[in-house]
Amino acid sequence: MIRKTLFAAAALAAMAGSAFAASAWTGGDDLPTNPLACDGTAGAAAAKPYDGGEPTGAPDRKGKKITVVDVPKLIGIGYFNATSKGIADAAKELGNVDAKTDGPTQANIDQQITFIDNYITSGVDGILFAANDPVAIAPVLKKALSKGINVVGYDANSQPDARQWFVNQAEFNGIAKAMVDNLAKEIGEEGAFAIVTSTFTTPNQARWIAEMAAYAEKCHPKMKWLETVEAQEDNVLSFNQATTLINKYGDELKGIFGMTSVATPASAEAVTQANKCGTIAVVGLATPNAMKPYVEKDCVKSVVLWNPVDLGYAAMQVLRAVADGDLKPGATSVKAGKLGELQVINGSEILLGAPFVFSKENIGQFDF
Amino acid sequence: MSAAWKNLLLRHETILGVLLVITLIVLAFQSDRFFTADNLLNQGRLMAEVGLVALAMTFVIVTGGIDLSVGSILGLVAILLGVFWQKLGLPLPLAMMLGIVVGGVAGLVNGLIITRFGVPPLIATLATLALYRGLAEGISQARSVRGYPDWFFMLGQGEFLGVPVQLWIFGLCAVIAAVILGLSTFGRATYAIGSNAVAARFSGLSVDRSLLLIYTASGLIAGLAAVIFVSRVSTTRSDMGTGLELDVITAVVLGGTSIFGGRGTIIGTLLGLGLMQALKNGLALAGVKGDGTIVVIGAVLIGTILISNIFRKDADG
Repeated sequence: MIRKTLFAAAALAAMAGSAFAASAWTGGDDLPTNPLACDGTAGAAAAKPYDGGEPTGAPDRKGKKITVVDVPKLIGIGYFNATSKGIADAAKELGNVDAKTDGPTQANIDQQITFIDNYITSGVDGILFAANDPVAIAPVLKKALSKGINVVGYDANSQPDARQWFVNQAEFNGIAKAMVDNLAKEIGEEGAFAIVTSTFTTPNQARWIAEMAAYAEKCHPKMKWLETVEAQEDNVLSFNQATTLINKYGDELKGIFGMTSVATPASAEAVTQANKCGTIAVVGLATPNAMKPYVEKDCVKSVVLWNPVDLGYAAMQVLRAVADGDLKPGATSVKAGKLGELQVINGSEILLGAPFVFSKENIGQFDF
Repeated sequence: MSAAWKNLLLRHETILGVLLVITLIVLAFQSDRFFTADNLLNQGRLMAEVGLVALAMTFVIVTGGIDLSVGSILGLVAILLGVFWQKLGLPLPLAMMLGIVVGGVAGLVNGLIITRFGVPPLIATLATLALYRGLAEGISQARSVRGYPDWFFMLGQGEFLGVPVQLWIFGLCAVIAAVILGLSTFGRATYAIGSNAVAARFSGLSVDRSLLLIYTASGLIAGLAAVIFVSRVSTTRSDMGTGLELDVITAVVLGGTSIFGGRGTIIGTLLGLGLMQALKNGLALAGVKGDGTIVVIGAVLIGTILISNIFRKDADG
């Protein structure tokens, strides 16, 4: 038995060493990947019919005042404070929306479901959500649709038929390209790196990691992936995990990817405290305020993100458009206030735009 | 007023019952959507898992023990259910049974550590809280299992005679638990152990056997709750049930079960559960945000126990 296991492990390692060099990073998902071209040519958007859901018996809400609740993954962190601000901004600008944000204080599927369930009972007109789990949240969202409530997701998707539209902050392959390109630029084509993520099943992170693996294999084949570690979305745990990586791999480790807005600053802090600024690069997804100290000290050069305030703003605008009946299945774009015309992709998703890289030159202009 | 009447009126359960009624009335006035059959049944659905585990936890706490590992057992069983069914290809009903059995074994392990090695329950189950969660995460390799057949969702999302299926299961278990704790020899032994384990031992009660049974039951029922939970949310994740133990213990303690053992009833636990769920739901419907609700629940817990203690002192003096 042991011999068999060893043999299997060896075979697996051999496989990993050759054909699947970069496609087997832990923490990715099993879905097919679609890496962008190395030189940055835009990917072709495949036409796809509308695959979202429809509310049953929704009243005519056109132009009428509506009550909207926003249930993010969790409340009290910078990122969702920013989306919440965007939602409030849009609601104020629209003038006929009463929007509020409420949600669990931990990213917990059960609690999030309970929150949404309660708001369905309380009789809201619209629900905005960022799913903690795409499948687990589906039954309660379908229930909302069945009660005639408009449902729009942002940040983290559910199964498509459980909501009407999803505002996609950036396509996964776009983020993956920005992350990998920037790290390659900093540590060179043959550098070794590790990844600090939330959990291996968190949908966004898993998708990004899978796309990063695919893109790295295609465009930076010599970069070496060492390990992916889980750190929930927990500050202390992220710091500890990053410190462990630094101690474990020593000089071999040239770079760290932070996959969450918590993991990236914590990793940067770990690198700073280990006096490895300049020798270990940190590239990751994070909000600018958390990263300003490290960017200004030149410890971190690239922070990849979109603008979460815009994301919340767009989600609110889309929900209003759906409630008004202005955004119907089959549409190819939607007007989103100050953001202008946003493109519909993948059947029932609305793309916010290309990812944004914050650097020392521009980070001072952002405050969220 | 006769002493018997006074005793009944000043019981923790009576005070709690009155408090629950007042809460329901106040909340009903706060939102017209609160006191509807639809909402109340739905709340029953949401609280069934915590409720099931709280039944067994009442026994555990009455013996003067505690079981912190129930949330982790729930996570472990949820993951194993998915693994047994999808990875090992077992028929789903068998996978469900096996999962619940694993829950029982996990509980038995708790019991063995506590009785055979004399480790305090708090420490033993704190250790297995980490251990079982680690197993769940290790086994799942952090992949979730989805795509269960439709009939399976009956358990967590379906209805029978207009009442959520899991509420029937919970009701049945509650009756059984109340009868065992309130009316059987085993129940009296449970109280005796909690009041004074040494005295119980010298009175010829098989303390270890009772404790083993109770911790095993706690694991079994956490396993059952896991199956219902998976059916309700239609997927398995290794982080399921995180923090469940705190909700459960809150409900049990709110229900008047003494953390030092020897005192507590199933009725009390049911009232505690009801009060907690009513507050969570009612305050949300009344427009109070989630963070405010937690504060209120904490305040109510302290308040109820203080009131109960004051009355008890009056009654004694």
